[in-house]
Amino acid sequence: MGIAGLGGLGSNVAGALARAGIGKLIIADFDDVEQDNLNRQQYFIDQVGRDKVDCIKENLARINPRVYVEGHRVKLDAENIPQVFAQADVIAECFDSARLKQMLVETVLSRMSAPIVSASGLAGYGNSNAIRTRRISPRLVLVGDGESGIDTVKLLTAARVGVAAMHQANAIIELIVDEIKV
Amino acid sequence: MAILRVNGQGREFAAEMFPLTVSDLLGKLRVDAATVVAEVDGQIIERDKFALTKLHDGQSIELVRFVPGG
Repeated sequence: MGIAGLGGLGSNVAGALARAGIGKLIIADFDDVEQDNLNRQQYFIDQVGRDKVDCIKENLARINPRVYVEGHRVKLDAENIPQVFAQADVIAECFDSARLKQMLVETVLSRMSAPIVSASGLAGYGNSNAIRTRRISPRLVLVGDGESGIDTVKLLTAARVGVAAMHQANAIIELIVDEIKV
Repeated sequence: MAILRVNGQGREFAAEMFPLTVSDLLGKLRVDAATVVAEVDGQIIERDKFALTKLHDGQSIELVRFVPGG
């Protein structure tokens, strides 16, 4: 399992998959934990200023030490994505930026063979049921309401980002159990 | 007249609008190409090929638009 981006989506997806007992997680991000991440991301106050990859590894080890976590502190791009996630059976797109989401999904669909579970439209609060999981095509699952961006809604909450992240984790587990059968 | 299925919905396009590329279609829909993943008849079209990819009557186009937040 690959997780690209360890923000509000990725840090929550990682926790759900570790609890589900997914054996190996490949995680990638280039950021440090910041104070204003704590309103929605699965880090602790004493981790502010530290490398997100290291912090997620630590936190997952406390949840389920049997999960093997391969961490990459790297800025993902079209060139390195196929290498970083070469061993992943499913990839979770957990970026914040719309352009990076586009780049990752396009790269995975055009240059790799694994399916990708992406998210678009999860800003704001309330209206949980507008967040849906849809199979766009055989290798693309899309989560979100499709329209609530941080550019227009100006607010991200742990609750609504969390709804989307759990949709992603649930879709990944479904893919692994029903289709990939690892 | 040609009909393209865009995100599952049939849309009519006048014959004189062709050749119509993926870029032209996004322009008409006023969508920023930098935030879109496009599939034509199930085949992914990379963003740098949008301006070169001509669309034809009867094709199915899936446009996934990404908004920021995560």
